[in-house]
Amino acid sequence: MELLDRYLHAIEFWLPKRQRQDILAELSEDLRSQIDEKASELGRELNDADVEAILKRCGSPFQVALRYLPQQYLIGPTLFPIYRFVLIVLLMGCVIPRFLIWLGFLIADPAHRGYLHMENMWSTIIFFAFFTTLAFAIIERSGIKFEGLDTWNPRKLPPVRDPNRISRLSGLIEIAVIVVFILWFVSMFWPRPVIDLYGAQLTLAPVWNAFFWSYLVLATFNLAIASVNLFRPYWTQQRASLRLLSDFIGGALFCWLLKAQVLVAISTPSLSAPKAAELTNVIHLLMAKMLPWAIVVTLMMLCVNAYRIMRLRCTHLNGSSTGPAVKELSNPMVNGN
Amino acid sequence: MSQSNGNHDLFENLRLELRRGCLSLAVLSQLRAERYGYTLRKALAEQGLDIDEGTLYPLLRRLEAQGLLTSVWREEEKRNKRFYRLSPDGKLMLKQLGAEWQRINASLTEIL
Repeated sequence: MELLDRYLHAIEFWLPKRQRQDILAELSEDLRSQIDEKASELGRELNDADVEAILKRCGSPFQVALRYLPQQYLIGPTLFPIYRFVLIVLLMGCVIPRFLIWLGFLIADPAHRGYLHMENMWSTIIFFAFFTTLAFAIIERSGIKFEGLDTWNPRKLPPVRDPNRISRLSGLIEIAVIVVFILWFVSMFWPRPVIDLYGAQLTLAPVWNAFFWSYLVLATFNLAIASVNLFRPYWTQQRASLRLLSDFIGGALFCWLLKAQVLVAISTPSLSAPKAAELTNVIHLLMAKMLPWAIVVTLMMLCVNAYRIMRLRCTHLNGSSTGPAVKELSNPMVNGN
Repeated sequence: MSQSNGNHDLFENLRLELRRGCLSLAVLSQLRAERYGYTLRKALAEQGLDIDEGTLYPLLRRLEAQGLLTSVWREEEKRNKRFYRLSPDGKLMLKQLGAEWQRINASLTEIL
């Protein structure tokens, strides 16, 4: 019976303390009954191989003990989908901007790309993951119930939103912003030898003319797209591609502007010539420093535009704007009901 | 080959799921009369419902904790054994579950 004793001892380790002896006594009795029955069936005492076969059929000590343990989990099945969603959003919010910034530095300022240490990123990820898990484990343990789960009302559910539809309000706001920008831009920066900007006289390099006209054309082009969007408030692949192109050109122009040292001189009545030259250099330096961030913003804008085009393409392929599942479920004729 | 294995695993999972709910009812029904674990297993096996010790004993403990069974340790054939039987609550529960089982069985027979 040495094998049986060893088996029971191995099970004992994993059992809950309070019930340990009780469980072992009962299990031991069952196994001894099996052994006795087998012995009387064979007409002899069982050898180690016979006992081993019985124990193996019973299962590994850990598996047997596991069945006596209460089901335990850190985060239960009700909370888990919310936990996973929060974790993904937090980690994406932590990783993606950091990656884009790193990419921006890599393109524009490779010497300072070490500014963002990868080790820091790992510790940030671990920090977020740990505290999110801890917070959800505490919520699980405290037994807090989400009221919404019991008191929800179908009428209070948010309407199905079509992501490809452009709201009239956002269309109007976009038009207003572009018009104000054009008026301000033209009144302030119309190409001339010296530009007066809120009391400061700016002398700009001749290359400014190219920037000015490019931005003006681009703003007018965006105004045209926004106007079409207002009357046809639904993104099409063509318009989304044009917007992608316009944002790409706008972003590239802005990045070029930051590097072009377009400001030749600055003068104000209260500033001496050496100080003005120093200020001009500082402005050039600051603009150059902004370049990686401008690249990041441009990349983010391009990602948003690319995502919109992909979504439109998927919608086009599926033949539905709100997703086939929602349409089919809400239409009993499709289901054949 | 892997498709066949996958189907087999799926069948095994669904079979276990189907069986799980029935086992409590089968155990309760067999404990109208007092039995200890090993004889209970034998009785169920004789009626075509094999249940291993790793499933039966935790189930017996759970049913006892829920107040549906009572148990007592007693010596029999020179060995200490734990005898189970239905509690008054267990009898009531068995009646209710039996009726529910009959209803489900009738519906499924109709459906299948």
